[in-house]
Amino acid sequence: MSRLSFILRRLSRAVVTILFAVTVTFLLLRLMPGDPALAIASPNMTDEARALLLTQYGLDKPLFVQFGLYMGQVFQGNFGTSFTQSLPVMEVLLKRLPWTLLLTFTALTLTVIVGIPLGVLAASRRGKLLDKIVQVIGVTGQSLFVPSIGVLLLFVFGLTLRWFPIGGAYSTGTYGLDWYASVATHLVLPAVSLMLIQLGSYVLTMRATLIDALQEDYIILAKANGLPDRRILWKHALRNALLPTTTLIGLQLGFLVGGAVLTETVFAYPGIGRGIYEAVTQLDFPVLQGAFLLLATTVVVANMVTDIIYGFLDPRVKTS
Amino acid sequence: MTSEIDPVGLTAEPVTTENVRASAATWRVFRREPLGLISAAVLLGLVFVALAAPLLTPYPASYGLDVLNAPSLQYLFGTDSLGRDLLGEVIWGTQQSLLVAVAASVIAIAIGTVIAVIGAYFRRIDTFISIIVDLTLSLPVLPLMILVAALAGPSTTTIIAVIAAFSWPEVTRLVRSQALTVVNLPYVDAARLMTTSSIWIIGRHIIPAVTPVIVVSVVVTASRAVLAAAGLAFLGLGDPTTWSWGRILYEAQQSGAMSSAWWLTLFPSIAILLLVLSATLLSIAYNDARNPRNRSR
Repeated sequence: MSRLSFILRRLSRAVVTILFAVTVTFLLLRLMPGDPALAIASPNMTDEARALLLTQYGLDKPLFVQFGLYMGQVFQGNFGTSFTQSLPVMEVLLKRLPWTLLLTFTALTLTVIVGIPLGVLAASRRGKLLDKIVQVIGVTGQSLFVPSIGVLLLFVFGLTLRWFPIGGAYSTGTYGLDWYASVATHLVLPAVSLMLIQLGSYVLTMRATLIDALQEDYIILAKANGLPDRRILWKHALRNALLPTTTLIGLQLGFLVGGAVLTETVFAYPGIGRGIYEAVTQLDFPVLQGAFLLLATTVVVANMVTDIIYGFLDPRVKTS
Repeated sequence: MTSEIDPVGLTAEPVTTENVRASAATWRVFRREPLGLISAAVLLGLVFVALAAPLLTPYPASYGLDVLNAPSLQYLFGTDSLGRDLLGEVIWGTQQSLLVAVAASVIAIAIGTVIAVIGAYFRRIDTFISIIVDLTLSLPVLPLMILVAALAGPSTTTIIAVIAAFSWPEVTRLVRSQALTVVNLPYVDAARLMTTSSIWIIGRHIIPAVTPVIVVSVVVTASRAVLAAAGLAFLGLGDPTTWSWGRILYEAQQSGAMSSAWWLTLFPSIAILLLVLSATLLSIAYNDARNPRNRSR
């Protein structure tokens, strides 16, 4: 398959997924018992403002027309007005999005940096003590509740040892390099919490696929050729075992974002997740709706980009 | 809300005839696995605590004078910011957490299995079903659950319904892959010659053959439901009239005592970890025991 048609196929899949997310949101809002207008218009609004918003979304028209209008509004980035801040929801969320992106991207990078070597170590010492320890870490990691881990790290490294700040994303009143340094120190604890809940599945997948790869014929050939074990492991087996792990990144993105919502809540990190928490407390439905759609779009786009990049690195992906 | 892929726990060997001898063999291997037995004991212990909650401790509803006491002989788990006994909250929270986990996963399993089996049997619908499942699994589910739970208003029914509604695609994905191999086995063709009733073939021949996958996914779905319910409650979307582990954490966060009064986080966290971890280990042990390759040991 040519490169162009590969990219086009991934692109259309992303578009379909986003359309699906919008449709699900629309149906949920309309089929839920209760006032469908609640999700975009506050009961506290003036009657004119409320009526204007409702006609904008066509809530007085038949369901199909409503759906078309809803799509139109959403794709213009109009998610309504935040009840509590009297600002367009999009504006509120876009200010928060960079922090969530920074947090999740850092956590993902940490997971890969720590997870792949751990998986390789376990697979290369299969059945030994180290392998068992790594497996226990893997299974336990999958059972962790993010806020529990977050508070534990906060308590130990923030309050007791005072190595890291206990909340927020930066120190106010810092400029230039100091500001970047404060952003980095504020990032450590939330990113590590988010890494710890992800690590287990990466380590276990890496271990399982590498054990399979080590039994392939080309590994036996490499051994017969007298290549050193270390080189076979890291050069030959690992490269072929990376594909399922990369697929896992895509599968886990939605879960990662869910974890970010809880992590940001614990650390008062000013991303979309903390915004969701505040919107829940104030029953700010437009923000909740916009946050889901924006996070869904982000996940889908990130997934598509990973897929396309990996398709160029590993030709097998394009044909599958 | 654990991971999407659990390479150790989620692969079940296909079984076409589940008979008494096979389950006896499974039990023989399982009995020798200490981790599986310990996990089963922990789970039974939690079920006992949940059922016996009214006998163990009074419902912690009233306000007390001993505010934010550290754990002591009088209050084994300490007290919260309104002076209520944390031990009582955790014990009553067990009831709620188990109820939500069991109810949500039973509903999700029922829906997920039926959809998976119908898809595998009637191949024309299968493409449609697998597209829906793929699409749902690629979206961030927690923000969607939050939106729906907030709109519906917090109650135990809402939590169960929301978690079930967004957990079935994972079940369908697991069961479907197994059902696809079963549908092509010769005995299903034989059954087609005997009867024209698809419902009979699905109910009598296909669902029993995928039961091992279902058993594993009950455990996985239930432990994910525990984490999802705790997550929703932690964000303030739990049932405000019932104690749950997530609500204890939520109230600790709200009162600002979360980081100073360590016991408020520690004990509900241990409870969540115990439940989810023992469920996961149990499913791994069951799977290992079912695997005929391990029986000869």
